[in-house]
Amino acid sequence: MYDLIIIGGGPGGVAAGIYAARKKMKVALIAGDFGGQSLVSADIQNWIGTKSVSGFDFAKMLEGHLRAQEGIEIYQSDMVEKAEKSGNGFKISTKEGKTFETGTILVATGSARKKLNVPGEAKLDGKGVVYCSTCDAPIFKNKITAVIGGGNAGLEAVLDLIPYASKIYLLEYGDQLKGDAVTQEKIKANSKVEIILNAKTSEILGDKFVTGLKYEDRSDSQAKELKLDGVFVEIGSYPNTGFVKDLAKLNDFGEIIVDHKTQQTSQPGIWAAGDASDVLYKQNNISAGDAIKAVLNIADYLNKGGSAGGYTK
Amino acid sequence: MTIKIYSTPTCVYCKMAKEFFKKNNIQYEEYNVAEDEKARAELVEKSHQLGVPVIDVGGKIMVGFNESELKKALGL
Repeated sequence: MYDLIIIGGGPGGVAAGIYAARKKMKVALIAGDFGGQSLVSADIQNWIGTKSVSGFDFAKMLEGHLRAQEGIEIYQSDMVEKAEKSGNGFKISTKEGKTFETGTILVATGSARKKLNVPGEAKLDGKGVVYCSTCDAPIFKNKITAVIGGGNAGLEAVLDLIPYASKIYLLEYGDQLKGDAVTQEKIKANSKVEIILNAKTSEILGDKFVTGLKYEDRSDSQAKELKLDGVFVEIGSYPNTGFVKDLAKLNDFGEIIVDHKTQQTSQPGIWAAGDASDVLYKQNNISAGDAIKAVLNIADYLNKGGSAGGYTK
Repeated sequence: MTIKIYSTPTCVYCKMAKEFFKKNNIQYEEYNVAEDEKARAELVEKSHQLGVPVIDVGGKIMVGFNESELKKALGL
């Protein structure tokens, strides 16, 4: 029986793991990978205390700091499939077939990439439809590409493509780009980039590989078509909270509703932090801080007798 | 058994796969498909898709880095 099971290996989960280990809780952390969504970032420049770090090195930093703690059990390359009530606490089951009994849970599972859900997308996934621009942009050397989404992730995908692609269309659903002004200026100054506003992507074309894209121009409702070789989808994310939806209340976006003072969810014994929660700003630094807040509150809860595992620190 | 990895310089899952090989003392050949046109064609021909990494373990083709799947293919 554990005091606490932390689910997630991003900045939230790792920060929680370090604090929980230092509080001598009986704690385990379950994660697919370390680093969270930033794992695939080319360069992170706002992790406080670090001027510049790649997503890969960021993940190594987090993992190294966590593994330096005594007493925490780490289950990597696994995923939680189910959480349910059991006795005074909860039972967690994973994809690899492991089960854990615990008094408390911290959900720090972050979010996953949103898909377009248009015809052709699933069939051509990996065949010109790309969800990891840092990974696959170099493959599109001298090719015509489109990035869908004018937020920061979309703008960064354009930057990843500029050294390689011959042409980059940037399609934004709204009537203006949403990403940071600094990045907008950079891409607008590049002659390879063509920005198309009010564009609602309706279909990805191609048989074996992507050959084009159809979109509706929302300003005049005209259907238009682009001939191209690659489509980079960067339209945001949805929280990884499906496994907990019957236990804790979610909002309309699927985010776990928390008390922002303590990170407690509607279910006593379950806390949430980071992008899986209804936090207003999705940021690495905020996820870490909120997860620490949660662990401190969990320690208080356990001290008041909420422990099923006999935590007495 | 020849082990090949088709990669790009910026791909984090390629780095993870290469670290895995090094940790397990496994020799591998690396092809950078961003520069090497022939390797790029090979990647498409073997995997029928365009993403990296593609790992070829003695003819068994894997798209992406999945540690447990890779261990199975290598008999680890």
